[in-house]
Amino acid sequence: MEIKYIGVNDRITDLFEGQFEIPNGISYNSYLVRDEKIAIMDSVDLRFFDKWLENIKKELNDTPPDFLVVNHMEPDHSSSIRHLVLEYPSIKIVSTKKSFDMMRGFFGTDFDESKIVVDNGTALSLGKSTLTFYTAPMVHWPEVMVSYLDTEKTLFSADAFGKFGALDHSEDWACEARRYYFGIVGKYGAQVSSLLKKLSDLKIEKICPLHGPTLDSNLSYYLDLYEKWASYQPEVDGVFIAYTSVYGNTKEGALLLKDELESRGTRVSICDLAREDMHEAIEDAFKYNRLVLATTTYNNGIFPFMREFINHLTERNFQNRTVAFMENGTWAPNAAKTMKSMLENSKNLTIIDTGVTILSALNENSRAQIVALANELVK
Amino acid sequence: MKYVCDVCGWVYDEAEGAPEYGIAPGTKFEDLPEDFECPLCGVSKDNFSKE
Ligand SMILES: [Fe+2]
Ligand SMILES: [Fe+2]
Ligand SMILES: [Zn+2]
Repeated sequence: MEIKYIGVNDRITDLFEGQFEIPNGISYNSYLVRDEKIAIMDSVDLRFFDKWLENIKKELNDTPPDFLVVNHMEPDHSSSIRHLVLEYPSIKIVSTKKSFDMMRGFFGTDFDESKIVVDNGTALSLGKSTLTFYTAPMVHWPEVMVSYLDTEKTLFSADAFGKFGALDHSEDWACEARRYYFGIVGKYGAQVSSLLKKLSDLKIEKICPLHGPTLDSNLSYYLDLYEKWASYQPEVDGVFIAYTSVYGNTKEGALLLKDELESRGTRVSICDLAREDMHEAIEDAFKYNRLVLATTTYNNGIFPFMREFINHLTERNFQNRTVAFMENGTWAPNAAKTMKSMLENSKNLTIIDTGVTILSALNENSRAQIVALANELVK
Repeated sequence: MKYVCDVCGWVYDEAEGAPEYGIAPGTKFEDLPEDFECPLCGVSKDNFSKE
């Protein structure tokens, strides 16, 4: 009984899923489980089919695999299904009913001759070992399931516990896993929590996600982070300042606030939303327990990058944090009001009333407001 | 009247019902059983809003 990695690294895509920057690439993970029967766990993006098939053949030579287990139908993991079936016509596809419905959409067929439909708790014997499937609806698509291999105490976790970054690039796990989580899964915290609960009775020693490294030591570190992220609890005591600036005056205000906070011993992260990776900013908003939004009044509303940023947050159920506002305006500053109203329906936010209004450029007044805001934020 | 699942976006149209899940056309949302679950993502009735 062994699990072999047969996935591929993608160093070609610049924007993953059409929006996420991946300077260090990404991996599409696939695994081969070899017992009396042979199961392939998930496929890869079609552009990497040849490399994947080569990996499979290297392990199996001419032996055909018995099963393709499909944990997730998003094309980065499913677009090679049809090609695999053409290569191995005897293979059985194992997945949920909803996955087969999606296959009809993607491929025009649900592979009726090859399909094995499984549901929550269905077991599939491979010989000495057994795969058991657990449905994970909306983590982060409705058809998702995860698979547990009993003899190896291994969880094939679909996109959960995934991260950006190809496997030949080594970097801190949490930063790119957090950016992945809040970017892609963030809205579905409740569903992630219920999956974690569903799995809590399993003895898990190894997690094989669909992106990023296999996790096989110190699992409580990763599970604890996921519990926190799924329940929207902040991870770090500190302030994240997200700003936009047209002529540099709002930026000056944001930087002054940063200095004031740091001189009070507070950890600060700061981001120019127009120039830096938006998804890093989203990640930081969820990472820190306090958020300051600083922007310009624009078209009687707010600067577009700030609007986009706040929309990203509210779509992802931003909650449980302290928020303060800094606005700039030359004739009728009302950015704070707009930002506040955009966050109106967000749960459990503590809004700091001490705001900062910059009239075009910093002056004695607005400097004093920034000092007062710093005091309020560290209270 | 239509009701949409806040979690996954599945739409329940009272006029059409959901025959593939055993719910007859014309069934009012409020008359769906209390343990009704979104057929797509499995969340309960209180996760639906009027469209
Ligand atoms: Fe996905
Ligand atoms: Fe994925
Ligand atoms: Zn739903």
